[in-house]
Amino acid sequence: MKLLMKTIVMTTALCFCLPSAAQPQHDNANHATHDMHDHEEANSSHAANSGRGASDGPVLTRTEDIESALADGGEPIVADVLGVVCDFCALAMNKIFSKREEVAAIYVDLDTKALNLVLVPGASMNDQTITDLAVQAGYRIAEVRRGDAALGGAS
Amino acid sequence: MTVVRTALPLTLGCLISMVTLARPVSYAGGWTVIEESDRQSSSALAHYTPSPTMSLGFKTEVNRDSDFALYSVHPTFLAKRWFGADYQGNLYFHGGIGVASGINGNPQSDQMAIYGGVMADWETRSLLVGYRNRYLEAGHHANQFMQVFRAGFAPYEGDSGDLHTWMILEIDHRTSEPDSVTATPLVRFFKGPLLVEAGYNLTVNQPLFNFTYRF
Repeated sequence: MKLLMKTIVMTTALCFCLPSAAQPQHDNANHATHDMHDHEEANSSHAANSGRGASDGPVLTRTEDIESALADGGEPIVADVLGVVCDFCALAMNKIFSKREEVAAIYVDLDTKALNLVLVPGASMNDQTITDLAVQAGYRIAEVRRGDAALGGAS
Repeated sequence: MTVVRTALPLTLGCLISMVTLARPVSYAGGWTVIEESDRQSSSALAHYTPSPTMSLGFKTEVNRDSDFALYSVHPTFLAKRWFGADYQGNLYFHGGIGVASGINGNPQSDQMAIYGGVMADWETRSLLVGYRNRYLEAGHHANQFMQVFRAGFAPYEGDSGDLHTWMILEIDHRTSEPDSVTATPLVRFFKGPLLVEAGYNLTVNQPLFNFTYRF
């Protein structure tokens, strides 16, 4: 009887695996727009608390690669990322975004919690694509800034 | 009763394995190698992550106290991730099914083994707490429950690519051990794809060494 009870506890724990496998993917696949709305709310709250406007978040972090890509004429993009707290987070974002041919340079700045991108000259990447790629990496985008807004100028 | 005891875990285990193996691989994934060595066992896990919500791997675990080795398929599911600008929280379910074999002269026959448990963590760039448990049923080799709680802090906040350092206290509870509750202070070094932890169990005077490499 004792062994049976243990078995029941064991199998109950494993049963949790089944619904948990399906639900998060459903969320990721079908609720990207809803997630984006949540991100905007989270970012607005964060911005209000920090006394910043919703559109004047961190500007592009300039590494050597990013400076070089900017000099080539690529579009700068800064995306505020929720949940990036460690190097594994940065690694995941780097791996996913670096595979894209549109991306000329990338840097994940843990200090500003921002994904910094410079695109290949003439290439484009819309906000939804950036959001979807971040989800593949396991994270969420709160806000995306481009061009002058990403560089700290007027949007 | 014996039939039920054997068939139920086997059926569920196979079902879970089929579910995980049948999942489509429709995006670029990552590989991770994890080694863990504590006062009771040493293990190596290599897993592939086909989606941001699950990984599937193969795990080998040597239980030094009970002289058996466990070879298992090991899925882990991310049930929920909480995001914030400054924090991340996660809830996982993990499990596995495989074979337990006697080692170091242990004459007992091979047994089917099945295990499962919950992991949860919450982390900022300077604070972390975590919890993990597991129940293992391995026939006459072992019926073990363990749970581990961790809390730690980073003395400084490193940026991408920097060396990150954490000071962590681990409290573990293992029902199969004479000293069921022990404490292990440890230090974690973290740089790029490599994470290394080294500590010493103050209760039973045993070292702890873990590493994770992600690529």
